[in-house]
Amino acid sequence: MKFAYYPGCSARSTCAELNAATHLVSAKLGLDLLQLDSATCTGARELRAIDPVGFYTLNVRILALAESHSLSLMTICNTCTLNVLDAHAAFVGDKELAASINVRLAQEGLHYSGRTRISHFLWVLYEDIGEQRLRQLVVNPLTDLSVGAFYGCHITRPPSRYGFVDSRNNIALERLAEILGCQPIDYTGRNECCGFHTAAHDERVAIKLTGQHIMAAKAGGAQAMVTPCPLCHTVLDGFQREIEKDIGQKLDMPILHLPQLVGLALGLSPEELNIERHMVPADVLKAHAAKPRKGHPR
Amino acid sequence: MVIGTDVPTLSGGDARRLGQTEMHDTLAARNSRLAPGDQIVVRIRRSGGGAGSTAIQEFHVPYEKWMRVLDVLNWIAENEATDLAYRWLCGSKMCGTCGVRMNGREVLACWEAAEPMMTIEPLRNLPVIRDLVVDRKPYEQKVASLEPWIERHAPYPQFPEPLNHRQMKDASKALDCISCMCCYSACPVIGLGDLTDFAGPAPLVQLGQTALDPRNNPDKVRRSLALTGIFNCVSCYKCEEVCPAAIPIVSRIIEPLKAKTARLLPGMAKHSFALREIVADRGRVDPSALILRVQGGRALANIPRVIRLLMRRKINPLKTIFKIKTAAAEAAGRILGAGPFK
Repeated sequence: MKFAYYPGCSARSTCAELNAATHLVSAKLGLDLLQLDSATCTGARELRAIDPVGFYTLNVRILALAESHSLSLMTICNTCTLNVLDAHAAFVGDKELAASINVRLAQEGLHYSGRTRISHFLWVLYEDIGEQRLRQLVVNPLTDLSVGAFYGCHITRPPSRYGFVDSRNNIALERLAEILGCQPIDYTGRNECCGFHTAAHDERVAIKLTGQHIMAAKAGGAQAMVTPCPLCHTVLDGFQREIEKDIGQKLDMPILHLPQLVGLALGLSPEELNIERHMVPADVLKAHAAKPRKGHPR
Repeated sequence: MVIGTDVPTLSGGDARRLGQTEMHDTLAARNSRLAPGDQIVVRIRRSGGGAGSTAIQEFHVPYEKWMRVLDVLNWIAENEATDLAYRWLCGSKMCGTCGVRMNGREVLACWEAAEPMMTIEPLRNLPVIRDLVVDRKPYEQKVASLEPWIERHAPYPQFPEPLNHRQMKDASKALDCISCMCCYSACPVIGLGDLTDFAGPAPLVQLGQTALDPRNNPDKVRRSLALTGIFNCVSCYKCEEVCPAAIPIVSRIIEPLKAKTARLLPGMAKHSFALREIVADRGRVDPSALILRVQGGRALANIPRVIRLLMRRKINPLKTIFKIKTAAAEAAGRILGAGPFK
């Protein structure tokens, strides 16, 4: 199963461990990834506000790159995912815009016809690997690991894109945690915002919001949290010391990228998954790491 | 948390909506959970307002066909608690006065189906006067301070005016607002109080009605936008999710207002311009470069954090100092280089 793979900016810089883990886990899952190295940033939230035409062009170009290889596009960042989904919808819904973008893409011999399927890694697990196959691939069930799923925003809202009346009803991460053998916990912060998108100019919002969510996860018994978005990870993990200072309390909550949690259950070690690259140590995972030579594919 | 049994391999984008069936997250499912004669358990957060204590009071209400949250409140007020304070007027999703929080979600009492178990609370982020009645004054003052009107100094070009639907598409979405405050209650940034100067979704929608009207005087719009703190919006879409008028608040109001702010008050959009320039030059975002551009020396002042980031290989100063281009730089330069902001 081959995918055009778009890692985005975060997984190529501050969260490089996410990119590495995605490649390792994909190999275990039998996913063949064609990494789109010439793909640009999707424009985060900033470009889409101040320069919509530039925003649409960058995103449609990414879709056109995947289409040129006749491949589905796999993403690993919530905000990138929503950006390409929105750009695809705008392209399909506005012929004039579509034509003008294609004129610009023609300069490098690219063309988009609106056919690329967009799928976040989380959705690939359900739609391309399938729950049954995934269960078979789990060689190291993470038994008794209590995990707080942190969805973030752009993988479950806006309703016009994902269809939830109430985004709290998304259970994709908890169900996955169960498949991997974990004990998913319920807490109020699951579908809340980490505040990343204003953090470059003012970190205080991110620190205050995310502090509430980590505390709620901890109160609910989470030993670790998992997120499908490197931007959420940056706040949850990278800002955790500042959050602790703000609330005057130690949290020590390990934060995992989604492919890392999957990787552990598929038998990869915390070292292979570069978990030591996180700002908050994840010692709790050592107890759950695969023992050498133990466990065989069922 | 118990999630249930195996699902078959999903397809066609169904993984995006995983939980919709299991959690009854469709309009049809939500509307068919009760049958006439069923008992609804209603818990209402009651208080005398101000800093006084609040208490939950429980009621049992017999379900009648098509019962809405408002009908439940009316039944309680008529039969069990004649002193229950709540607001409503039109009963048909137009007056915007009956917004409450039901099971942790902002809804219009007049437009939301009753649920078997309901906890009903007043909206957040506004002072409570009594029970479910909130004081709208802070919102109204904020809206008034933004001067949400049109100023025109030149004579009208002709009558009728040469306006088309594309020029008015965002402003006309904003005009669907019924000022119910649901979005204002759902906004996490407003929930942080005075931490930022963010005006909040509802006041921005009110402003959008005139600020996104192409006939408005740019000086007037600039004056209003300067007071919005609009770049403190975290783009979480909580406001869009709860809006009973289905206004795409983030994508059709806040983002167009941000675009206007970037043009009229570029100083407020420093962060957005910095990101654009970095992407145009190097193809992708270098977070360190962005932070340095936006925060300057402030970013380096937190020395322990810089050391922690270096030790965990989270940042690569060489990339930032030498502005190393990525394999995407050429394409980004071609697409963004000649843009309106260069």
